[in-house]
Amino acid sequence: MVENKDAHPSKLPDPETWVDQYGDYLYRFALSRIKDPGLAEELVQETFLAALNSRKNFKGRSSARTWLIAILKHKIIDQYRKKKPEESREDMEIFPDGVDHMFDDKGSWIERPGKWNTNPMKAYEQREFMDVFYRCLSDLPKRLSKAFVMREMEGQSTEEICKNLDITATNCWVILYRARMHLRHCLDVNWIAQ
Amino acid sequence: MKHWMFCCKDVSQKISESMDRTLPLHHRMFIRIHILMCKYCLRFRRQLIILREAARKIDLSPEALDSALGLSQEARDRMKKTIEAQSA
Repeated sequence: MVENKDAHPSKLPDPETWVDQYGDYLYRFALSRIKDPGLAEELVQETFLAALNSRKNFKGRSSARTWLIAILKHKIIDQYRKKKPEESREDMEIFPDGVDHMFDDKGSWIERPGKWNTNPMKAYEQREFMDVFYRCLSDLPKRLSKAFVMREMEGQSTEEICKNLDITATNCWVILYRARMHLRHCLDVNWIAQ
Repeated sequence: MKHWMFCCKDVSQKISESMDRTLPLHHRMFIRIHILMCKYCLRFRRQLIILREAARKIDLSPEALDSALGLSQEARDRMKKTIEAQSA
């Protein structure tokens, strides 16, 4: 997350200037995740509309661009979720939120975390990593992925997430824990094993 | 009952929690001792940090994006019109 460097909160520019100021950047971002140009355009438009409707929530702690990108990311994850066949979406609903099945009676790992030799920070691996990353994120139950995006992508504090999702702090830590567990496991299986 | 320090399930939860708030010093020490003995929980912790770095950094790096790409004029005009109509 690109924080606003100076102490003054940043201002949201006039919506009429958004397309010229941020349109291309948002479009490039969307296109790097969604390969279809038409769909990428649609997501950018949806992002602008969502931003327009939640202008009041912009607090100026990050730049307007970062704020818009955050909205776009939620749209992209929803899009990945939509792409899944009906069947797997049903699976998702009975998908266990908990992590009990990952440990034995004594609390030891059943499927032990595998070794990650590759480093996703390396440029040549980014695209592939991010693709699997988004797919795994969209596999999570919605509230888990939402909490994860807020925390790890947008860098919100747990207090803010609690307020936004209307849950207690303990609940928030549990949700984030489950999100990380499932996401890590999904990457272990789908990215590392490739 | 065994102390949570010896249980991977409990330790993994504490490791995750330590990324969201500052844990008491003795909790942090229990985690440290555990990961000295357990390579899987050590891996787990490293991987959570990789996930965080990936989510925060890669995703926003403009260099990773193709700067030759842009919205078509048509899309641009359509979006402007929609925004104008909605904000009126």
